[in-house]
Amino acid sequence: MNIWESFKIALSSIWNHKVRSILTMLGIIIGVAAVIIIVAIGQGTRKQMTDELFSTDKNAIDLYYEYIPPEGEPETFWEEPELTSEDIQTLAKVPGVKAVIAINHGWGSMIRNDERGDMQITGVGAEFFSAKNIQMVEGRAFNAADIDGLNRVVLIDTIARKKFFKETENPIGEIIDLNDNPYKVVGVYESPIPEQFRNKETGEMLMPRSVISMMFGNREIEQLSVIASDPEKISETGKLAAATLTEKKGLEDGKYSTNDFEDYEKELNKMISLLTLLIGSIAGISLLVGGIGVMNIMLVSVTERTREIGLRKAIGATRKKILLQFLIEAITLTSLGGLLGIGLAAIGTIIVSQVSPIVATVSPLIVLIGVSFSALIGIIFGILPANKASKLSPIDALRYE
Amino acid sequence: MKLSEITKVYGKGALEVPVLHGIDLTIEDGEFLAIMGPSGSGKSTLMNIIGFLDYPTSGTFELNGEKVDSAKESILARLRNEHIGFVFQQFFMLPRDNAIKNVASPLIYAGVSKRERTERAKKMLVKVGLEDRMKHLPNQLSGGQKQRVAIARALVNNPTILLADEPTGALDSKTSEQIMKLFMQLNEEGKTVIIVTHEEEIAAYAKRIITIKDGLITNDRRVKP
Repeated sequence: MNIWESFKIALSSIWNHKVRSILTMLGIIIGVAAVIIIVAIGQGTRKQMTDELFSTDKNAIDLYYEYIPPEGEPETFWEEPELTSEDIQTLAKVPGVKAVIAINHGWGSMIRNDERGDMQITGVGAEFFSAKNIQMVEGRAFNAADIDGLNRVVLIDTIARKKFFKETENPIGEIIDLNDNPYKVVGVYESPIPEQFRNKETGEMLMPRSVISMMFGNREIEQLSVIASDPEKISETGKLAAATLTEKKGLEDGKYSTNDFEDYEKELNKMISLLTLLIGSIAGISLLVGGIGVMNIMLVSVTERTREIGLRKAIGATRKKILLQFLIEAITLTSLGGLLGIGLAAIGTIIVSQVSPIVATVSPLIVLIGVSFSALIGIIFGILPANKASKLSPIDALRYE
Repeated sequence: MKLSEITKVYGKGALEVPVLHGIDLTIEDGEFLAIMGPSGSGKSTLMNIIGFLDYPTSGTFELNGEKVDSAKESILARLRNEHIGFVFQQFFMLPRDNAIKNVASPLIYAGVSKRERTERAKKMLVKVGLEDRMKHLPNQLSGGQKQRVAIARALVNNPTILLADEPTGALDSKTSEQIMKLFMQLNEEGKTVIIVTHEEEIAAYAKRIITIKDGLITNDRRVKP
């Protein structure tokens, strides 16, 4: 008698007691499904959060100004130091810096024909396009003449193009009205901002930052960020750039610093892992309970089939073969439960993915772990009943009423 | 098959219950033997020892000149599988398996392939006259038919000895007669048949009758050549 034979006997025995088998498996099914769904949601959440928080641009790091009041004095009104093109030059020379991006911001009410919308405007320099790898869909990017000549030109993103222009219309060269002033559209670009953060209503636009400064009265440079030539060293490059800028500007009551994404990311991962582990172990308890249920039913089954065991022994089954038969039956029961649990988890993750923004997926690794773990439960909780069956004396077993 | 000075004691210490007090018995190939005795005489215990289902407490037991009284459990299981065909009073069928599968079951433990198992099981069912009941489940068979299936199962492994414990105990007299005639026929074909019974009429089919009382053989007579 080989394992396959035992497996077939086990399957028919499970099939012969359908209701009992399903009820027994239920604990395993729910346990496995719960563990897999929780792990899948955990992984999905981690992926989504890291994507949202850090993937905007892994190469770029923002420098921001931090006010430090002189010792012993209360914090008073403070102003960020003026940033100039000289500062850009300084940062560009910092080792490891590939490019420097300087931007400012504005808000404008845009009107064209009957459409109107409040738009966020980012003021950029010519370096912005290559540094951020902006894809132009139509028209052209800004050139030095636009920046230096204070040309009142704008670029709109694909969302704004859809809102303000018909598909058949050519927006290039069109004049739009922004805060009651005319501007000329010279191009359409694909926004580099991750989809979930884009303004899906009106879209956004780019303008030479010199023009924003002129028309809106804002500073020409409100924000500096650097791009590292080696993305792996973004943190160090950012810190070095911030320190260089602080030193160059001779700041006394403040300094430039960067956000250390790596630390945030590590912290976040740790938190999610801990949470997943916590909820996962609670779900694991249900697996334990399921296993005990399996053991219970197997013990009942051994008692019920005492005479069958006696007969099998009389016709030549050894202890080992009886043990194997019942063990395989327990393993088949729990593995089947595990498989059904995975199926349930697959449905569960699909539902989770549909109703929430989290993309939860059942990975092949999890399926493998799920099945082997439920088989392991079968071994652990099947060994006692199987051993009991194998130790029955054939005479007593045959005489059992 | 040679048993000498076989004793069996159940329990331990103060609860010791001696059942067999020293049985000497030699069974030759091709014999038709009936073991008789009232209940509690120890005949079932003797049958269990002969059938390798139980160990004797003391004494020696030789099968074809080989000592088997203290063999390991796994060896006894193999001996049961190869040398003994059991027929029980209560039939002991696998209730969810049909006649063929029930008959074939000892062959599973002998490591015979499925195709050969089915073939041999069918042959045995034909031999016991159940060619038209092969696919029936035990609960679709009468008592006599069940016992025929059990006999086919006992024969399928081509054992040396057919060991029947009250094989007609659950059957009416007409069916009993048919079953006993089947045993006679099998014995004429050369099979050793041992029947444990308390009924005179059943024992009368045998060629040699042994009577056991209080754990001892009190009578051993050859009734037919």
